[in-house]
Amino acid sequence: MKRRLEAELWDKMHYLFRDFNDRMVHVELNYDFVPDIEALKTVIICAFEKVPVLHSKFVDNKLWTHWEVMPYNIDDVFTVSYPDDVEKAVDEFLTQYIAPTEAIQMKVALFIKDNKSTLCMVENHMCMDGGDLKYFLQEFCENYSRYVTEGISPVNFRTGSRAYDDVYSGFSKTEAGVARRLFKNINARDDHKFPLTSDNIRDKSFIARKQFSEETLEKLKSKGKELGATINELLLASYFYSVYELAGYPESDTVMISNAIDLRRHMESVDNKGFTNHTSWMQCAIPERGKDIFETVKYVIASSNKFKKDKFMGLYGLPLLNFGYNFLPHGVSEEIIKIGYSNPLMAMSNIGILNGQHFALCGKEPTDAFMSGAVKYKPFVLLTATTYKKVITLSMCVRGNEEDKHIVNKFFDLMEKNIDTIIA
Amino acid sequence: MNKLLEYIENSCKNLADNQSSYRYKKMILDKMTERADEISRAGLRDEKVLTELIADEFCDLEAGYAEHEKKKRRKKLLKIGLPVGSLVFLTLILISFFVVSSTTGAWNKTWLVIVGGVFALVIFWFSLAIAKLCTMRRVFHPIARVLIAGCALLFAVFMFLFFLMMMPELLVWPILPAGVIIALLADLIFAFATKQKLRTISLFVYMPTISTMLYIILSAYKIVTWTAGWPIILLGLVADVAYIIYIIISNMKYFTYKQEVEE
Repeated sequence: MKRRLEAELWDKMHYLFRDFNDRMVHVELNYDFVPDIEALKTVIICAFEKVPVLHSKFVDNKLWTHWEVMPYNIDDVFTVSYPDDVEKAVDEFLTQYIAPTEAIQMKVALFIKDNKSTLCMVENHMCMDGGDLKYFLQEFCENYSRYVTEGISPVNFRTGSRAYDDVYSGFSKTEAGVARRLFKNINARDDHKFPLTSDNIRDKSFIARKQFSEETLEKLKSKGKELGATINELLLASYFYSVYELAGYPESDTVMISNAIDLRRHMESVDNKGFTNHTSWMQCAIPERGKDIFETVKYVIASSNKFKKDKFMGLYGLPLLNFGYNFLPHGVSEEIIKIGYSNPLMAMSNIGILNGQHFALCGKEPTDAFMSGAVKYKPFVLLTATTYKKVITLSMCVRGNEEDKHIVNKFFDLMEKNIDTIIA
Repeated sequence: MNKLLEYIENSCKNLADNQSSYRYKKMILDKMTERADEISRAGLRDEKVLTELIADEFCDLEAGYAEHEKKKRRKKLLKIGLPVGSLVFLTLILISFFVVSSTTGAWNKTWLVIVGGVFALVIFWFSLAIAKLCTMRRVFHPIARVLIAGCALLFAVFMFLFFLMMMPELLVWPILPAGVIIALLADLIFAFATKQKLRTISLFVYMPTISTMLYIILSAYKIVTWTAGWPIILLGLVADVAYIIYIIISNMKYFTYKQEVEE
């Protein structure tokens, strides 16, 4: 008998995002040793069995969308290779696309060279977001370590509800009632685009990265204290200023960048909850560029303060989406939601600090760790920020050409220049 | 396989050693073996991990046995009891029909015994189906709602036929619109009790329909005249408006909620 899983609200929303991005979330963990391959296979199978959505195909029959649990083989999920050029192999692996109709929604690879290894994962955003992928990786690494060192079966993966309305669990009854009635659609449209080239059939996905040293982070922290800004706000201000410079927008233009918010902040606890998406957008707009980067910082602080004061930050529009998906057949609701939904042209997602201890295999932490969001289709862009061992990594995943790569790298140079100005 | 057997034996050690528990253990073993084959085909080689992974899916086997036995008894009862019971019931109805008819000689009226019996049986079958449908996915609930309305209408038709034997046609026919009212009310109760989607919309549509039926019934019994009684229809709309006001008032606290702002 076919085993089916309910397609939750965020699964459907991320499916709708197929026009804007490839929905893949990427992870790269570098170790200075080679983990036990057979043990890794065992842990991956246990993870897949405990999180069945990872080996399910998404069925969109326009009426009742759902996941259908599929048989799989570990060799289709996990590959081990010994490439000469690890960087190239990692890049090729991370930029692959897993269709939602495939039997597996996560792929894992281990690249080995000179007794060092790189563990990479690619998963469909419909299954879980970066926030939960961090938890998943933590449990994955803990299970691996206990299995290898103590022989404990790696079956401790979080399972439970994947429903969107778990976000209301941390509220009082009245507050939850208010939050469940936030029908207001706060999608604001802004026509300012990141200056990439036009779409081309030869475009290929690429991940551009830029790292900022521990020293830069420390300076950003102290400068943030001085200016009353968080690191995220400083990065966002720098993003704004750089994009004004890169695209040549008039200084007086109002520009908007959407910022991903982890809605788990509203939840009582994520224990006993399944891996899923709980991410929304906060629209950060500045009225003009500002005479210098410090004025931009002020604008960003003012904009994000408006959201920070809101107890229901990020929860606007969710009841409307739920209403749309709940009362109409999927084919109809999707078309209606598309009319009201405006995907942000420029966005930023700060996945935050990646804790080395959480990703340690048998006590050995990764030498470097990196996560990034989906590959966006032009003209949409997403800047992802992760921090590992006090090193900030900014990344942008784009489906584009060599010129786009050049533009993104130029943008990173401008970011660096503007961050240097802030911390100078 | 041996480890799965060991797990089942350890988990079910308090169960009586009889044919029933044997069948249950065999069923669990078959299911576990099937899962083990599935996971092994995925590539898992470590038998200890495989056993623990499956054991995690099949926990608390003793409680499962009690539930399984309960289900089995119910299934058996339905499988044998339902056709046999229905047959016995129909035979009794038929006997009653002949006994009542031959003793009273009112053959032109006693056929109602058979109609009543068949309707009662159909309502009983529908009730079982409704109970089953309620345990299934929500997509099947509309079928339960149709069956509930069907039960109400069958009951109304029987009452109509019953009173038709004793009263003139003009006094009896309003039972049929009364049946529609009962069907709609039953559906509303089900919709609200099981929190069906669009139940409020159902309420908005049903209230004017119910008031219209009420107008027809009251006018038919000359409690109000056909010409002066039409405002009763408006009562349905008034009830709709009253319900909207109730919704607004009960939701007001959410819309006027003021956040405590932490600076």
